[in-house]
Amino acid sequence: MIREFLVWLQDQWGKGAGDTAQSWSQQLLGSLNLWGLVEGTHLLSLMLFAGTILFVDLRLIGATFQRTPVSVLSRRILPMTVFGFGFMVITGAALFFAKPLFYYHNIWFRAKLIFLALALVNIVIFHLRAHRNQQVWDLLPKPPTETRILAAISLASWLLVIILGRFMAYSWFDCGKPIPHWVNLVQECKTSEHGAVDASAMAAIGGTGS
Amino acid sequence: MTKQFFAPLAIVTALACAALVGVNVAQAHHAFSAEFDGKSPVLLRGKVSKVEWINPHAWVHLMAAGPDGQVREWMVEGGTPNTLLRSGIDRNTLKPGTEIVVRGYQSKDKSCAPVCKANGRDVAFPDGRKVFMGSSGTGAPKDGSDPNDK
Repeated sequence: MIREFLVWLQDQWGKGAGDTAQSWSQQLLGSLNLWGLVEGTHLLSLMLFAGTILFVDLRLIGATFQRTPVSVLSRRILPMTVFGFGFMVITGAALFFAKPLFYYHNIWFRAKLIFLALALVNIVIFHLRAHRNQQVWDLLPKPPTETRILAAISLASWLLVIILGRFMAYSWFDCGKPIPHWVNLVQECKTSEHGAVDASAMAAIGGTGS
Repeated sequence: MTKQFFAPLAIVTALACAALVGVNVAQAHHAFSAEFDGKSPVLLRGKVSKVEWINPHAWVHLMAAGPDGQVREWMVEGGTPNTLLRSGIDRNTLKPGTEIVVRGYQSKDKSCAPVCKANGRDVAFPDGRKVFMGSSGTGAPKDGSDPNDK
């Protein structure tokens, strides 16, 4: 059902009449300037977001700025993090909109979403648990273990989100290529327009020429 | 200017710079050597069957004989639609049916499944015009096809 919606999103939504008419998604993907602008903004806002959350997480872990109260650091830095996050989400959604089916069948994207969800759940847990008694540990050079663990999870999951996002640019595991069976399953290649080709099956019939 | 206005201003300026660097980011989308083999040059001669005018790389499809002499479908990676337009390649010059000769490098994965893949360096048109069709700064071999190579 998700896939049907994405097919409509990619190929139908905003499509006018005529043979050469393109949907909005296709127009964005083929645009001369807009797509590059969106991608550039995504990367720059990502740098702002990750660069600032790094300081907050390192402070919560107890690795840096140990003499600065957590509340002071948060008040100064977190607005920039939120600002970067807003741009990052909007541009990220636009980049997904330009190629929804590609990302849907992409193992890197699927893994990225998992860690993105983990990072967001982690924020909720932090606010429900660690944040509630912050005045107790606000001045401590090293916050309590639970807080430090949540900060470490935040740092690790955002780094993984970035790294996995970077790998989406590489087409090693695209559907339709001879790839390991489990990758075909994870990406649901069978339902993709390129189909699923198992590397082992290709090897069994004696390679692929050239 | 007071101190408290400096940070937001710096942020907004940085984001506005995206307008200027966006295209360059897209051009250097990925490193050449991650997917293509600089030691496998190919010369593909054939008629354009289709062109995908998409970001971050346009793809030119053509039927052509590969290094083994077998005629197959090739898809050749070019720059962004924007870089191609600026070097004089657009929907009218690269219509389906146009006879072209592409110089490039085959992908490291030589299985040709589902189709053969190559990174395009330059493309020659029937009128003799030869145009650089790749992206600069990706680490592709310096073979003289890129006018921006130093």
